[in-house]
Amino acid sequence: MSHIETRRKSKLGTVLVYVAIAVLLIINLFPVYWMFIGSLKDRTEVYSNPPVFWPKELKWSNFTKALDRGGARGIRNSLIVAGTGALLSVVLGSLAAYSIARYKTGGDFLSFWILSIRMAPPIAGIIPIFIMMRYARLLDKHAALILSYFLFNLPFAVWLTKGFFEDIPADVEGAALVDGWNRFQAFWRVALPLAVPALIVTGLFCFIFSWNEFLFALVLTRSKAVTLPVIISGMVGGHEIMWGEISALSVLTSLPVTILAMLLQKYLVRGLTFGAMRG
Amino acid sequence: MNRATAAAAQARDGSLWIDKRLPKLFMAPTVILLLALAIGPLLFVFGVSLTNWELVSMGNPTFVWLSNYIQVFRDARFWNAAKNTGIVLVAGVGLQLLFGLITALLLNREFRLKKLVTSLFLIPITIAPVVVGFQWRVIYHESFGPLNYLIRLLGLGQGRAWLADTSTALFSILIAEVWQWTPFVTIVLLAGLQSISTRVYEAANVDGASPWKVFWRVTLPLLKPTVIIVALFRVMDVFKIFDLVFLLTGGGPGSASESLSLYTYITGFRYFSMGYATALAVIQLMIVTVISKQLVKMMASGRA
Repeated sequence: MSHIETRRKSKLGTVLVYVAIAVLLIINLFPVYWMFIGSLKDRTEVYSNPPVFWPKELKWSNFTKALDRGGARGIRNSLIVAGTGALLSVVLGSLAAYSIARYKTGGDFLSFWILSIRMAPPIAGIIPIFIMMRYARLLDKHAALILSYFLFNLPFAVWLTKGFFEDIPADVEGAALVDGWNRFQAFWRVALPLAVPALIVTGLFCFIFSWNEFLFALVLTRSKAVTLPVIISGMVGGHEIMWGEISALSVLTSLPVTILAMLLQKYLVRGLTFGAMRG
Repeated sequence: MNRATAAAAQARDGSLWIDKRLPKLFMAPTVILLLALAIGPLLFVFGVSLTNWELVSMGNPTFVWLSNYIQVFRDARFWNAAKNTGIVLVAGVGLQLLFGLITALLLNREFRLKKLVTSLFLIPITIAPVVVGFQWRVIYHESFGPLNYLIRLLGLGQGRAWLADTSTALFSILIAEVWQWTPFVTIVLLAGLQSISTRVYEAANVDGASPWKVFWRVTLPLLKPTVIIVALFRVMDVFKIFDLVFLLTGGGPGSASESLSLYTYITGFRYFSMGYATALAVIQLMIVTVISKQLVKMMASGRA
């Protein structure tokens, strides 16, 4: 085969690669585009056949209506539940993670027991937790969700921050201890400041998990503490489906998480595999 | 563990209260919370699964021992849900691995706007499964959905009511699941590909191996541990599939597309049969434990 032929062949290969990427990208993004555009259509455009690929006029009224019909409450509840839960999970989880990373507290047994809780099926947890929350009179309160999300987020926070603490060379704290600081001072003044970026990353992941969670929110809330996914599901199951408004609420639910995840992209592999892969 | 730290702490007068207690004090809140939220409920679930407890009935629950479990094995609806979950698990994870690998290989090359394109590929995994369910409900809609429009446009017939049809409901859920989680497989495999040293490829090129041969003999074997880890993560997740089924079909028509999680939810929170629902939950817990044991083993060996 001559050189020119090889080059032509590789050029064709490059074109094929571009085409393949473009096709996959369209498949990946079309449902997202359709949700966006659906949130800006009026009623007749939603029901039109053939479908409207670009509305004549962008209507923002779906957003205001969706916010009025419980959307605003959903955003508030989701923020409270996901925010508080993420903060507490990172604080408590990182303490445990530090203890495991530096002092091997509980040995392999404890750390893998913690991990196995993260992997257990939520459906096994929801029945007893529903009954517990009913007895504690916490149904339809934020506390019920914040507490039960510890089941996912604490083990996650422990495992992710454990890896980050292990990345910090122990000698740094060793030197502080030799200088006469106690272990708490070594943690507080040396390890913690170095771990702050990692803790923020962990917190954002916890926030996303809680924000998107559905099963627990569905079972543990009724009307006052409903989060966004429950409201969307309720609107979809409603008597008359308000496609435009649900699309608007879906956009409001997805957009913050998508932006957060883009900021976290460097850590996405690490986070989604609980630290198993460094990415 | 670092001996330097421990040794240094002991080298000082070593008896400071905080130095001795710190590891356990730091550990305590997490362990206490998880004991309360996981172990307590676990024991409770086991206990309730041995009773005939109905949440709304008047009578007190009595122990029926293993009869819930025996009933599960005779329950056609359970086997149907198990079959559905198995189909989505095998076909879904298989397709995610296939498409994920193809996409990862494509993205592992150099091209313009690579960073932006990679970010755009990730969008589906960031979207709440409930929202994904809603999106696909619109796409599958019989009269105004873009899928049937495309089918009519291509002259492939009139399209159909994808979600209301027994023969396509489960398949439709499967497609949405593959759509959402293929990017996860992609980025993990991409990370795996990028960790393969270029020297390995250079050596193969010197030997004059064809790209196809390099892929089968070099890339794939080196990628195998990553493929296994990502497959186990997906298997574990798909086994618990709930949100997409709930939003897309509600398990229907009838129970044609019901998953194990959804069947358990319906038993517990629509029929209020807590005894039977917990027995179903225990069975799923045992299956997941087997899978997660495997995954944990892989994670542990990857670290060592």
